[in-house]
Amino acid sequence: MPALFPRWSNSALWGALILGVAGLAVLLLAPMIWVRTPYDTHRLHPLDQPVLFDHRHHVLDDGIDCLYCHYTAAVSRTASVPPTELCMNCHGQIWPDSPLLEPLRRSWFTGRPIPWRRVHRLPDFVYFSHAPHVNAGVGCSSCHGQVETMALVFAESPMQMGWCLDCHRNPVPHLRPLDRITDVNWRPPPDQAVQGLLLQRELRVAPPTNCTGCHR
Amino acid sequence: MDTRAESAAYSKAVDEPSVLLTRAPDAVLTRRLLAPIWVGGITWKVLFLVTAGGTAIMALAIAYTVITGIGVWGNDIPVAWAYAITNFVWWIGIGHAGTFISAILLLLEQPWRTSINRFAEAMTLFAVLNAAMFPVLHLGRPWLAYWIFPYPSTMQVWPQFRSALPWDAAAISTYGTVSLIFWYLGLVPDLAAARDTAPTLLKRRLYGIFALGWRGSSAHWNHYRIAYGILGGLATPLVLSVHTVVSFDFAIAQLPGWHSTIFPPYFVAGAIYSGFAMVITLMVPIRRIFGLHEVITTRHLEAVAKMTLVTGSIVYYAYAVETFLAWYGGSEFEMYTMLKDRISGPYAWIVWIVYGINFVAPNLFWFRRIRRSAIALFAISIFINVAMWLERFFLIVTSLHRDFLPSSWRMYLPTFVDGAIILGTLFFFLFLFLLFLRFVPFVPISEVKELRHELAKEERELAERAKEAAHGR
Amino acid sequence: MTTPTGHRLPLLEDDGWSRRHVLQLLGMGALAACQPPREPILPYTVQPAGVVPGKPQFYATTMTLDGYATGLLVESHVGRPTKIEGNPDHPASLGATGLQHQASILDLYDPSRARLPRRREGPAGWETFVREFGPLLPGAGVPPPGEGLHFVLPPTTSPLAASLVDAVRTRYPRAAFHFHAPLYARAADEAARAAFGQVLATQRFFDRATRVLAIDADFLGTSPFGVRWSHDFAQRRRVHGPADDMNRLYVVESDLGLAGAIADHRLRARPSEVPLVFLAIARALVRGSPRAPDALRGALERLPADLPHAPWAEAAARDLLQHAGDCVVIVGDTQPAEVHVLAHALNDLLGNVGRTVAYTPTAIVEAGEASFGLEPLLAAMDARAVSTLVLLDVDPVRDAFADDRFGARMAQVPQTVCLSLRETATAKASRWFLPGTHWLESWGDARAFDGTLSLRQPLVRPLYGGHDALEVLAVFAGLADTNPWRLLRTLHQRTGAAPTDATWNAAVQRGLFPGTAFAEVAAAFRADAVAPAVNAMATRARPGGIEIALRPDPRLHDGTFAHNEWLLELPDPITRVSWDNPAHVSHATARRLDLHEGDVVEVRWNDRSLRIPVLPTEGVADDTLALTLGWGAWVARERDVVGTDAYPLRTRAAPWDLAGATVEPIERPRPVGGTERVRVELASGQPHIDMHDRPILLHDTLETFRNQPDFVRPHDDRRPSLYGAWTQHGPQWGMSIDLGTCTGCATCVIACQAENNIPTVGRIGTAKGRAMHWLRIDRYRLGTGEDDVQLLPQPMLCQHCEKAPCEYVCPVNATVHSPDGLNEMVYNRCIGTRFCSNNCPYKVRRFNFLEYNDYEAETPKMQKNPDVTVRARGVMEKCTYCVQRIRTAQIEARIERRELRDGEVRTACQAACPTGAIVFGQVSDPNSGVAALQGLPHSYAVLQHELGTEPRTRYLAHLRNENEEVPA
Repeated sequence: MPALFPRWSNSALWGALILGVAGLAVLLLAPMIWVRTPYDTHRLHPLDQPVLFDHRHHVLDDGIDCLYCHYTAAVSRTASVPPTELCMNCHGQIWPDSPLLEPLRRSWFTGRPIPWRRVHRLPDFVYFSHAPHVNAGVGCSSCHGQVETMALVFAESPMQMGWCLDCHRNPVPHLRPLDRITDVNWRPPPDQAVQGLLLQRELRVAPPTNCTGCHR
Repeated sequence: MDTRAESAAYSKAVDEPSVLLTRAPDAVLTRRLLAPIWVGGITWKVLFLVTAGGTAIMALAIAYTVITGIGVWGNDIPVAWAYAITNFVWWIGIGHAGTFISAILLLLEQPWRTSINRFAEAMTLFAVLNAAMFPVLHLGRPWLAYWIFPYPSTMQVWPQFRSALPWDAAAISTYGTVSLIFWYLGLVPDLAAARDTAPTLLKRRLYGIFALGWRGSSAHWNHYRIAYGILGGLATPLVLSVHTVVSFDFAIAQLPGWHSTIFPPYFVAGAIYSGFAMVITLMVPIRRIFGLHEVITTRHLEAVAKMTLVTGSIVYYAYAVETFLAWYGGSEFEMYTMLKDRISGPYAWIVWIVYGINFVAPNLFWFRRIRRSAIALFAISIFINVAMWLERFFLIVTSLHRDFLPSSWRMYLPTFVDGAIILGTLFFFLFLFLLFLRFVPFVPISEVKELRHELAKEERELAERAKEAAHGR
Repeated sequence: MTTPTGHRLPLLEDDGWSRRHVLQLLGMGALAACQPPREPILPYTVQPAGVVPGKPQFYATTMTLDGYATGLLVESHVGRPTKIEGNPDHPASLGATGLQHQASILDLYDPSRARLPRRREGPAGWETFVREFGPLLPGAGVPPPGEGLHFVLPPTTSPLAASLVDAVRTRYPRAAFHFHAPLYARAADEAARAAFGQVLATQRFFDRATRVLAIDADFLGTSPFGVRWSHDFAQRRRVHGPADDMNRLYVVESDLGLAGAIADHRLRARPSEVPLVFLAIARALVRGSPRAPDALRGALERLPADLPHAPWAEAAARDLLQHAGDCVVIVGDTQPAEVHVLAHALNDLLGNVGRTVAYTPTAIVEAGEASFGLEPLLAAMDARAVSTLVLLDVDPVRDAFADDRFGARMAQVPQTVCLSLRETATAKASRWFLPGTHWLESWGDARAFDGTLSLRQPLVRPLYGGHDALEVLAVFAGLADTNPWRLLRTLHQRTGAAPTDATWNAAVQRGLFPGTAFAEVAAAFRADAVAPAVNAMATRARPGGIEIALRPDPRLHDGTFAHNEWLLELPDPITRVSWDNPAHVSHATARRLDLHEGDVVEVRWNDRSLRIPVLPTEGVADDTLALTLGWGAWVARERDVVGTDAYPLRTRAAPWDLAGATVEPIERPRPVGGTERVRVELASGQPHIDMHDRPILLHDTLETFRNQPDFVRPHDDRRPSLYGAWTQHGPQWGMSIDLGTCTGCATCVIACQAENNIPTVGRIGTAKGRAMHWLRIDRYRLGTGEDDVQLLPQPMLCQHCEKAPCEYVCPVNATVHSPDGLNEMVYNRCIGTRFCSNNCPYKVRRFNFLEYNDYEAETPKMQKNPDVTVRARGVMEKCTYCVQRIRTAQIEARIERRELRDGEVRTACQAACPTGAIVFGQVSDPNSGVAALQGLPHSYAVLQHELGTEPRTRYLAHLRNENEEVPA
């Protein structure tokens, strides 16, 4: 009776076994890795906006403070994209007829809002509020990165729960004096460990790590 | 003196029917036991189609549930668990006899396990498969069921290990895996036999692949024995642990009727009890249809019946104890549930059916004639299966529907979908079992042959001694 | 609080923040964790003054019920009103609200509201209407102008409405104005006219009364003043220590009401008996007081000697006499004028007038005038003298007296104009139809029960482009400018209420003009009025057969709210039945007539009949069938008519109590042969009311409490526990609920529903036990027997146990304990095992068995509270102590670098409660109100002794002030 299987089938079987085990491992690990990549968190991905607005120009050249436009950040849940009116405060006089500002003027005269594209997104069951962070010495750049260097704004941080918790569990490395919240040049001083602790004590920073701190 | 007379003499001597009546040579045995694989019958085809249809019903019911939400079931507040969990506990219970037979009886070296352990194990696998469906299916959001397993998530949140449900997940998956490997390992020599006798090259190749190149060399047998023994040792504690953990789902809660320390032994006994009932339910027809009276003998019927009697008695003892404890413990809520609601409440009729059947059925096995009558066994086993499902039902529902605040008391009424799912799982179970009967040697050929040799030896010695005694006079 | 000028509708305008919120509400929340919404950010082009995106604002405004104003504060999220609170400055509210106030926000967004104005010929716009009716009407017989021009309005207290009526009259001198509301108590006006010679409003001060006698008066429930009266009543009900005194309430009524359920002594009396019992009390009072006027004494002594329930009446009378001067005798609006007259006489006799009772001018415009009711209109219609009939916010075709045959008569009127919120029966029968406005959509004014002038400011533009009744009047008045705001502004400038912009803005901000309450009138009771009244009472009472008691509905009022899903799903405060209004019958009578719950019966009275399911229930007088009005509307959610409309039984002769009716169960042939009862399954929110002697709702008499103040202690001891305490830091939250002052009105339930985006599940869902209410009102039966029992209410919500049974069984940590002592429920983590619900001894957890939120209908989304996740299918939910309010307040405090103040965080239920029975706060702060209450001797936690759950929610035991002289 001839052999039922050729000689190589032994190694084939072993190969199959190994592949099976490896495949299983990949199946388990791949998703865990994927959700940690910028592709899934939509990080570092600049979005085209209806108006060619350049933070570099407004922040670095004109030295406009973040809170001038995003003026509710210190008092409200949202930092608010400014109403057209606020843009027109300046651009009524400056570049009043620049073609780049056409969408702005259209919005102003028709009363139709400018449809800005959302860069930072949180799930709807997350009740994030800017105010407590800004008032607790967490600067804009701590989460949003160096916006003043971005031609088109992109998300700097993954904005996943784990990322939030890292800071909520130990805010010390990220705290800065309240007068430097919007300071784009702020960098943690060499003794941040000490400074942070002092700030935490002074501002009575006690970030919640329990669920209803953010989920309601 | 011919072999039949010998075995008859032997049986007389030990006053028990032999565990193996045939004395046909190995080749014949192999051919006969493998026959069902090579030649399918019309009956099989019909049954196959029927069960396939039933399985389709289950699939539809499940799809409907997952798409619409479990609101299509009868569950409400307070009765948030009902059919799904009942089915889960029932199936997982049935899944106990298989491993009990193959593992524990293996360690106890019971010769009668041989002919029935294979399909008992298969039964276990399919039952566990059915059971494992429900914990996922009964979730409000089944697609997130994986949150119950500990894994490093970006949320940095872990399962809660104080809850019995993660224990459940672990216990069941372990049990399923070990049972599967145990079953497959036992299959290997027979798959090889199938390979060697397969009519066509394709079939030989197929069975060849699954036989993993088994040649039956003494080295193979040596490793095989060791591995089989180890797995038997591993499976044995699982038999006890799984239903213990399942019982924790209820015991760790503080509901009257659930919150009881007797639950682990109570549940394990109940599981083996219902498991053996299901073994009977399957064994009797198979024996009949495939004419296996020589392999699955009256001795098997009797042994299984005795197991049922023992475990059934333990279950009944548990009934008595939990009721006594309710009174002895003196908690007004416990007393209301155990001594009032279950006895005379709206679901009392179910409770009494269960108490009735579970008392009468096993105790009939005190009578040898009933133990040895296949028909009687079959009938009784059906009753036990039903009773054990109902037992889980009232255990869950009566405790829930009237707990602490009378203001929240409500009834539970199942819906059509509830019924379709439990019925569907029964069909699905039979469906898988039919496939098993058709494509896998469902009696462990190698072990039977081995057994035959051992028995022949014993009998020969016996006969010798008999002769000598005769000469001596 | 500022005016929401320039506010527009988020969904009609591209107002991004609200859009963002609305989408947030879609509570993809609970679902789409992996893919958050990518919708664009649409900022304002010009941001309205005072609006800070992401922060709610509160505006003061006014809602009217039967014409009477209740001042409210409305929470608005960038233009979307989402929640209603009471206005602390307003006399009718004092910061609290009633059921209907809380629920009416839902009607604003109801998709089934009328949208299109039309002429019978077809669609026609508002402009067409103005063109047709603005100019002087040709058909309206000139001269004299206005002949045949009739208006029907609901009774109103609005000065603006009054001025516009005058304006119309100056243009059409012969135009007639009639006022119609099915529940309006004209008997009270007639009685006042008879007793004082002028129409006066009776003011009662329950906060000064130590004894209250209520004759068929559910003054805590269905009365339009229920909110204020509940508050006042509770002031004398609250017992904090053995030294405290407590009022005593006597109730005589036919059907169990909120007041009757908590009464210290309640007498079940058939409608025909009620006046007789009252007479018995009156006679006992007279006999007990020497200085009783002879007229009264004579009339009463002339009565037959054997009046029903004399012993009870005499005991009550003795008690009242002992407290003459600080007691109140109140008669229900459903009683005829003569009974009110007798009540005036007795208050006068007891010397209550000027102390616990006072009289003021009525706030109702033209109350008591000959033309007030519909009668003149009916006569005119029969005489074919009506050429144009204008019906504004009224539905007489449905709710006028059946024997008025209003629909048939109206059909003969050549020109009919109807304005209403919905396509009512009247709307369908009229030639012109105009969609009306919700009270949150238009400017207006109204007076409170005491005359306080209140302002109604809109929070949104009319969602469906409706117009206000005031505008229609202005059109008929021929005014060039019909804008209600300008009309209002100019009127109050003229009247001098608000001469300057400053005063005006102040008034708008507060929602009322301070100090505009009416002065009390010194009204002398006419002794000669009493004799005819007493005789009338004695003769009118003619019992026989089954008596029918028609009553206002505690939920739907007169039917104004018949489309409100919240109120429809709310279990009846007494019978716990939702989505229906079965006829109440006593258990004894039910047994006698062999009626069972849900049996549909044919009720026959004279030539009228009605088919309605019956419900044997507690506290109903024997041989009496109690029906509530206002049901039977077609509800979109159910795609069916909900409940039974009882108006067809109501006639001018017998508006409330019908004697001599018959009741027959309806049989239908069985398919298998024979017949069977026609039955309906009533969706009960609580099938079991027997407490099974379990220590759940603890209660006792005032005496016991005085002898043994801590009689609850045995059920409230701390038990040893294997689990250690939680790490607690920050404020520790807790709640105290006073079962002594809780009336079970269920306003808290609706407030919770509105605040926490709780969906409705429909009739079938409720019947299955899947209603989603986080806070429910349990009712437990006290006393032996079936009918003469007390039904005590117990608000049941998450107890926030420190040793929570739900927490340790959740496999995924979806319900956990917070450091400040909350039992947190994390919807987005929940996978729906429901193990927590199984293990919750209080069964306060609710599960989304199906998808209960409507993602299609646009407007209902706008009501949702953006601070609370909308739960998707398959997750558990429960009371969170309004954690969104806690966290918001904490963030505010943190920003202002201060500690939270006590009372800064108020839960929705607490804020709404009229009696202040619910108090929430920091138990960790010994000076806080809640800590004080939880420290009282009769404060206990439910099942603490039995289960050791150590709840943060504790109850004050219910105390009743029994008079042992009263026979049981």
